[in-house]
Amino acid sequence: MIIIIDGKKIEVEGKRTVLEVAREKDIFIPSLCDHPQLTPFGGCRLCIVEIKEKRGYPPSCSTYVENGMEIKTKTPRLQELRREILELILSEHPNACLICSEKENCDEYKSTIRKVGEVTGCVLCSNNGRCELQDVVETLKIDKVKFPSVYRDLDVKKGDPFFDRDYNLCILCGRCVRVCQEVRGASAVSFVYRGSEAVVGTVFDLPLLESGCQFCGACVDVCPTGSLTERGIRYEGLPDERAKTICPLCSIGCELKIDLKRQKILSSKPSDEGAVNEGQACVKGRFLIKDVVHSPRRILKPLIRVNKKLEEVSWEGALDFVAQKLKKFKGKKTALIASPQVSCEEYFLLHKFASEELKTENVDSSYRFSPLAVFDKMAKENGLELGLNFEIKDISRAKTLFLIGEDISKSHPIIWLEVLKAVKGGAKLIVASPEELSLSRYSALWLQIKPGTEFYLLSFLSKLFLQKEQEADHPRIEGLDSFEDSLDKLDLSNVFEMTGITREELKEASELLLDTENAAFLFGMGLTQHSWGSRNVAALWNLALQAQAQLFPLGLENNLRGVFEIGRNSSDKGLNLNQIFQAASSGELKALYLAGPAPYLKKANLELLVIQDSFVNENFEFADAVLPASTFAETEGTFINGEGRLQKFNKVIDPLGEAKPDWWIISQLARRMGNKGFHFKNPSDITKEMIKIVPSFSNISYAELEKGQKIFIQEETKKERSFIPLKYSDSHYKKSKEYPFLMFLDYSLDYYRSLSLSQESRGLKAIRDSRWIKVSLEDAEELNLKEGENIAVESSSGKFKGFVKIVKSLPKGILGASFLLSEDSDFSVSGLIPSVFQESHSLGMLPVKIKREK
Amino acid sequence: MSGLNKDHGKLIHMLHDTQKKFGYIPAHSISQISGELKISESEIFGVLTFYKAFALEPRGRHLITICMGTACHVRGGVQIVEEMERKLNIKVGKTTANRKFTLETVNCLGCCAIGPVVVVNGKYYSNITIKKVDAILKEYQESE
Ligand code: SF4
Ligand code: SF4
Ligand code: SF4
Ligand code: SF4
Ligand code: FES
Ligand code: FES
Repeated sequence: MIIIIDGKKIEVEGKRTVLEVAREKDIFIPSLCDHPQLTPFGGCRLCIVEIKEKRGYPPSCSTYVENGMEIKTKTPRLQELRREILELILSEHPNACLICSEKENCDEYKSTIRKVGEVTGCVLCSNNGRCELQDVVETLKIDKVKFPSVYRDLDVKKGDPFFDRDYNLCILCGRCVRVCQEVRGASAVSFVYRGSEAVVGTVFDLPLLESGCQFCGACVDVCPTGSLTERGIRYEGLPDERAKTICPLCSIGCELKIDLKRQKILSSKPSDEGAVNEGQACVKGRFLIKDVVHSPRRILKPLIRVNKKLEEVSWEGALDFVAQKLKKFKGKKTALIASPQVSCEEYFLLHKFASEELKTENVDSSYRFSPLAVFDKMAKENGLELGLNFEIKDISRAKTLFLIGEDISKSHPIIWLEVLKAVKGGAKLIVASPEELSLSRYSALWLQIKPGTEFYLLSFLSKLFLQKEQEADHPRIEGLDSFEDSLDKLDLSNVFEMTGITREELKEASELLLDTENAAFLFGMGLTQHSWGSRNVAALWNLALQAQAQLFPLGLENNLRGVFEIGRNSSDKGLNLNQIFQAASSGELKALYLAGPAPYLKKANLELLVIQDSFVNENFEFADAVLPASTFAETEGTFINGEGRLQKFNKVIDPLGEAKPDWWIISQLARRMGNKGFHFKNPSDITKEMIKIVPSFSNISYAELEKGQKIFIQEETKKERSFIPLKYSDSHYKKSKEYPFLMFLDYSLDYYRSLSLSQESRGLKAIRDSRWIKVSLEDAEELNLKEGENIAVESSSGKFKGFVKIVKSLPKGILGASFLLSEDSDFSVSGLIPSVFQESHSLGMLPVKIKREK
Repeated sequence: MSGLNKDHGKLIHMLHDTQKKFGYIPAHSISQISGELKISESEIFGVLTFYKAFALEPRGRHLITICMGTACHVRGGVQIVEEMERKLNIKVGKTTANRKFTLETVNCLGCCAIGPVVVVNGKYYSNITIKKVDAILKEYQESE
C-alpha cells in the first residue's frame, strides 16, 4: 500500500503503525510511551498526528497504516498540542532543571551532586545522559510549565537488589509494566490504584523480591526517565568508553554493551544488536559482570610456595618454577583439568600443552553429565549420528513444548523468553519438575515428578502413544517393533506411585503431546545427571520420534559446546574428571594442573598442584604455584554457545594487576619447557591452528562473523530416525531409616571459574543463594525448621552446611541443594565427596539426613 | 495482546465472589486466585485497586460515605469528616475495631443542592451539620 507522510509518498507492507513507518523513514515524531519491542500503549499522546478524513488527533504509535492514508506530523496545531501535553506531564515531574535557562552550563556538575535522597531536578538525577524526557523537552522547546507543579512525595524504594525505584519521576508510560509482562513473563510490576493515585507498583507494595521479579533489569533499560536506576552506577559519573563483548555466564552468550570509566567496568547492558539476545539479558549479565571482573577475590600476582608459604614472585620466577616442576611429572601421573568457561582457543591450547608437554591423556573438563555429552553418548551407543546444533529462535515457533530437567527461567533466561513467545502465541507448555517453577504459571500442565523417575514417565507416555498410534495410520519408523517389544517387557504397573504423577495427568500429557505438528522437547541436567542418564535420554528420544518433536539439549556453561568438541576430537583413553579426582585421592596421580574449579582437595595426595585461576579459592592451601589468569573481559577469543553458534568475545579492559590471559600463560610455560610450537602472539594465531585440527571448527572465520554472518559449528547430521529399544532398569533412589531424605542436586550455573556468584554479590544472594538447602513446608513444620536457619546435611560419606529455604511446592521427604564446585567446601555439596565423584555413584539424588547446626 | 488477558473477566468475577464472602479481599485469596488463574499477584492487585468496589481491608457492617465534592466541601464537609473520625476513633478509609463502621469519602454524589450529604448503607442524609452526626451514628449503633 501507499501512504503519504508530510507530503512524502511511502510504500508500506504489512500491519505497521504510523510511528513505526515514520521512524523507519527518519520522520521524527516525539513519543514517550512507545517502545519498539513492546505493544503500543497510546498513553502519553505526544505522538499525535493529523490524518486526512479522520477526526481528532490519533496517536501514531497505536494507529495502523491504511492504504492511501495522508498523514501530517508537524502542523503548528500539533506542535502546540504536544507542548501542552508535555507541560501536563511535566507538572507532575520535577521540572526546574528541564526548563532552566542555565541548563547547558550545568552539565559538568551533574555527576557530582547526586548523593541526595530526593531528586528534585535533572542535576540530581542519576539518569541524565539517557533521559528521553529531557530529549522531548529539548525538541519541543519547552521553557515554561503553565500548570501548577506537584511533587508526589512517594517513598523511594531502595530495599531491593540492584536498582531503586523512585516513582516521583515516573511518567506512567507503562513501558516497565509491559516489558515485564510481555517480554519477561514476570508481571512483577503493574499499574495499581487509579486516577490521581495511579502508580506503578507490586502486590501490597511488597518488595520486588517477593513479587516474582527476575531482576533482569529489562524495566530499567526501557524506562525513559530516572525512575528506575541501577544503584551501582549512581555515584560513578558518566562512562568514558563503551565496548561490546559476550557474557560468559551461561550457554546463551548474550551480547553485552559494557560501559567503562578509566578502564573500570561501570555497568553492562544487553545489546539490541545481539543476534541471540536482541536487547534482553538476565540478572547475571545485566548486574554482575563488574562484580565478577573487579571482584576483591581476584588474584593479581603470581605466587609460588617457598618454605611452606605462598609468596609473590615475578612472572619470570613463577613460570620458571612451574616449568621446572612439571618436567618431573610427565606422563600418566599428571592430569589437567580445565574450565568449560575458557575460550575455545584456550581449551585447545591446554589440550595441546597436556599432550605435547605433559605427555598425558588425562585432560578433562566438567561436561560428562551435561545434556550434550549424555545425548551424544546415547546416540553413539546406539549407532546414531545425531546433531547437537539448534537455533533458539526455532523454539518460539513450536506449538507444543515439553520441558524436563531444568528451570530455564534461571538457567537459560533467553530460551525462556522464546518459550514465552510460543506460549503467548497459543502453544501448550508441559513442565516436568520436582518443585513448582515460576514459569509453571504459563504451563498447560505441570507434572510434579519425583526426581530420578523420569525414565518411567517417558516410557509410560510412549506406551500411551503407541496405543493411540495403532488407530492412526502413520509411516512406520525404523526400529518400532523392537521398541514396542522392549516397552511391553517394561513393568510400569506402579508408574503412578513411582513418579508421583496421576493417571489423568499422564493421559493429559500424552494427548497434548500427540496432538501437535511442531513440538519442541527441551531437556537439561535434571534428566541427564543420573548414572542412568543416557537411558533417560533414549526414552526421551523415542518419545520425540513419536511426537515428531525436535530435541533441544540444554547445556549449562558458556563454552561447554566448544570444550566438548575439542574434547571429543582428542584421545579419550585418559582419565576423566571423576577418575582424576579419585586418582588424586588414591595417590596414583602425582601432579595436577588446575585451570578450572575443583572440589576441595584436602583428601588428595599430590606432589604438585598448579592452579591457574582468576579468583582466590580454598585449594590455594595445597597449591605449589598459583598463576593469575585474567577474566574474559581482559582478553579475546571464541565461545561456542548452546546452539552451536560461534561467538567472538572482545577484550574490554587491560588485564588487572599482573593477571595474564590463560592462552598467554600456557604458551609461556610450553616455551619454557622447550616446545617450539607455542609461538602465539594473540588468540587469532591459535584460532588458525585450531581450525586445522578440530574438524567441526573448520568454518570458523572472524571476518565472516564480523560481517554479520551466522556461523554454526559443523556437524554431520544424517537425519537418522530410528527407535531405540529401552533397557529395563531398576533405577531409582531409595532412602533408608538412617538417611530418611533424598537430596536433589541442582547443578547451579551461578559461578564463574572459582567464584561463587551468590557469595560475591549480595544482590544475587538475596534472590538465590548457593547455600540454600531447600526443604518442603511439611518437613520444615515437622522438624520445626525456620527459614534461614543453619542446618547441615549428612550422607554416608560426608557432610555440608547451608541455610533452610522453605519451598512450598517441594514434596515431603525431598531436599534440594545447589551443586557448585566454586562453593567453599563447608557449604558445598561436593562435601559429600568422595561419593559424588565416583562414576558408579549417581549424581542425581543422595540419601541424607538433616542435622541442626548451632 | 497476551493470551492471558481473556482471564481478566474471570478474575473480576472471582474478586467479586471473594469480596462477597469476606467483605474484602484478603491477601491469601490473592495468592490463591493467582495460582488458579495463573495471573501474577501484582497484576491482580492492579486490577482490584482499580475498582473502588473491592476493599483490601475488612469493612464494617455499616458503610458511611461522606461527600467531599466541591459543593459539600464548601458547606462544611471537612468538619463532618473530622467529627465522624473523632466519634468513631478511626481515619477515613478505615473500619472500627468492632467491625461496625467503615468510613469513606466520595466525590460529588450528584445531589449538591441538599449537601453536605452523608450516606449510610445507601440511605441519604441531607444538610448535615456536626450536630446531626451523633443522631445518625446512634441509629446504627442501636440497630443490632
Ligand atoms: S528523569 Fe530525566 S527529566 Fe526527570 S529529573 Fe531525571 S533527568 Fe531530569
Ligand atoms: S527486573 Fe525484570 S522481572 Fe523485575 S520488574 Fe523489571 S522487568 Fe520485571
Ligand atoms: S517507571 Fe519508568 S518505565 Fe515505568 S511507567 Fe514509570 S517512567 Fe515508565
Ligand atoms: S542469559 Fe546467560 S549469557 Fe545472557 S546475560 Fe544471562 S547469563 Fe549472560
Ligand atoms: S508514544 Fe504514542 S501515545 Fe505515547
Ligand atoms: S458535592 Fe456533595 S453531592 Fe455534589
